Amino acid sequence: MSTLDVLLQQVVNGLALGMMYALLALGFTMVYGIIELINFAHFSVFMTGTFVGLVVLSLMGVTATSKSLTGLALVGVLIALFLVTMAITGLLGVLIERVCLRSLRNVSGTAPMITTIGVAFILINAMLLIFGPQAQRFPQLLPNWRWELGGAEVTFKQLVLFVVGLLLMIALSHVVRRTTLGKAMRATAQDADAARMMGIDVDRVIVLTFFLGSALAGAGSLFFGLYYGFTGYYIGYTTGLRAFTSAVLGGIGSIPGAVLGGLFIGLTQSLGGQLLGVKWTDVIIFSILIVVMVFRPSGLLGARTPQKA
Amino acid sequence: MNRRVLVAGLALVSLVALLAGLPGGLTAQGKVVKIGLSLPLTGADADGADAIMKGAQMAVAEINAKGGVKGYKLEALVYDSATPAAGQYDPAQAATNYKKFIADSLVMAAVGPVMSGEGKAISPILSEADMATITPSSTNPDITDPKFQAQYRPKGKAVYFRTVTTDAYQGPNMANYLFHAQKIKTVYILDDGGAFGVGIADSFQKRVGELGVKIVGRDRLDPKEADYKTILTKIKGLNPDALYYGGVMQAAAKLAPQGYEVMPRVIKAGSDGVYDLSWPKQSGKEAVEGWFCSQASPELVTSQKLEAWVTKFKTDMKRDPTNYAITSYNAVLVVADAVERTVAASKPLTRSNLRDAIQATKLGSIQGPIAFDANGDILTRTVSIYQWRDGEIKYVGVAPEK
Repeated sequence: MSTLDVLLQQVVNGLALGMMYALLALGFTMVYGIIELINFAHFSVFMTGTFVGLVVLSLMGVTATSKSLTGLALVGVLIALFLVTMAITGLLGVLIERVCLRSLRNVSGTAPMITTIGVAFILINAMLLIFGPQAQRFPQLLPNWRWELGGAEVTFKQLVLFVVGLLLMIALSHVVRRTTLGKAMRATAQDADAARMMGIDVDRVIVLTFFLGSALAGAGSLFFGLYYGFTGYYIGYTTGLRAFTSAVLGGIGSIPGAVLGGLFIGLTQSLGGQLLGVKWTDVIIFSILIVVMVFRPSGLLGARTPQKA
Repeated sequence: MNRRVLVAGLALVSLVALLAGLPGGLTAQGKVVKIGLSLPLTGADADGADAIMKGAQMAVAEINAKGGVKGYKLEALVYDSATPAAGQYDPAQAATNYKKFIADSLVMAAVGPVMSGEGKAISPILSEADMATITPSSTNPDITDPKFQAQYRPKGKAVYFRTVTTDAYQGPNMANYLFHAQKIKTVYILDDGGAFGVGIADSFQKRVGELGVKIVGRDRLDPKEADYKTILTKIKGLNPDALYYGGVMQAAAKLAPQGYEVMPRVIKAGSDGVYDLSWPKQSGKEAVEGWFCSQASPELVTSQKLEAWVTKFKTDMKRDPTNYAITSYNAVLVVADAVERTVAASKPLTRSNLRDAIQATKLGSIQGPIAFDANGDILTRTVSIYQWRDGEIKYVGVAPEK
């Protein structure tokens, strides 16, 4: 491979990686946008989703060592996998909201955020206890198609990841901007009390927000499993931290910002790794984050709304 | 307040205090020597740690079945040294465990740790307490190197003994093997940022350099990272003959499948950090195919002489043994032998006397003779080479020393 080919390949790698962060940042940033809660449990819901996916697949008779599926069987398995997993992680999100966060909704300060960290650790340890400490293989359902692009190579998995990420971003933006639910969400975000006076069922809106956000984490988790072919109880940590950074970089609360931030971090990681070395990855990413925060405190696409009293 | 109740209460309290203060209490207590075992029983290296723990437990059970050592029963006190936050061994947790051992007056010696990163954290703690530990698997040479005495054994005496040799041989001997047998001309080196991984990658790098192999690059993996495509793409662009990985399972579990995807034909080698029977289960059989790995001990598991031992281990412990299960079994025998000699010489059984007895060990064992140099390193310096073939670790041979 020539230097140019390698660089091109790293751009392809970085875009796919960035979309992975973006998928995770989307649900996270949406919840923040509605109730201004930094929900660290989101990344553990994501991690839990990979295991839910594993169980769902094994119930359908698909394991890492079973024969690969093709055609309609594959499509059917994938549809069932996504529907069931997203429903379960969505309900998990609702459960977290109902049990741990609702009673704290009117508590100001960092208590709800700290609670989400606690929930994250509960989920991590629960998965550790149930599934054990080692990396688990995730069945490779998607075909291994590859295409030449100049001197680089694009895989089918990368393409799927990228297209799905963009579609989800557009769909989510549409929900928030154009639907009645979205209007209710935005109203709740601006002023929950006023929204309630206007007849909006604020509890329902928040529950739906958590459901949607956690279902997105579930979808993200399946793409993680299908793309990397493994999962483990600790995957929510590094990936989650980078996704969190993506959301902040893009402007927390902004849906296109989450995708932009994710892609930016993905590209930074792959090109930085190529040009400097992967041991500097975190140094590079967080240096850029600090620089952006200094000059644009609300992130790349963040709205400069005045702070609520 | 009623005076009589007060007096009676006071009397009761002082009686309890008196009883508690008596040596050993008043409960009938058989004489026990506890051996501390601190191992990463959860996390990415759990399978290897489990084998090591069971090796030690088998030795303890066998010795107790024969009536113990000079009237003392052995007891293994097991703590996990991995944390969920680390996802693998955690040096801070290992230090906490060893402090707990030291706080327990019945713990006379320890077997472990499994990882060199833990070893670096706990060796100075042991030195202060004058307590010996015998590691069945940690191979970083710095811990026992007199050059770093101030750091790892400030009180001077060796406290860190090994039933395996060190990476001063394990890394370089793998370099010799890849150079002579696999004829590599260029190599890319990765480590996982752990004390063990960095150390063995350094010693490998130094030796391949001496052999005239061109080192096309060196980088460090974050074990918690999911995506190694960046670094693997970079390595593919440099087109080396071989990739050497110094490190343990957490990164290896992801490095193998992604390495297989990006550059299936490059020779790939690791150390004892990837001698882990659960690797194909973690990464896929085809992904680990062809990987070389090593052991800082002679090959024991398939040895004819050990057939009976291996069968007994499989029956008693319900799993396959590893070589380090055997070095761990022997570590307990070393402690038992030292207890026996200390008692026979009618010296009081203290940590310090036991350390001195361990230092003077001359024991024939199923892995061959065990004796230590003044720093605690075993005198036998055999390194074995293995290769993953069809989902199983196959013994290749003893690594060349030059």
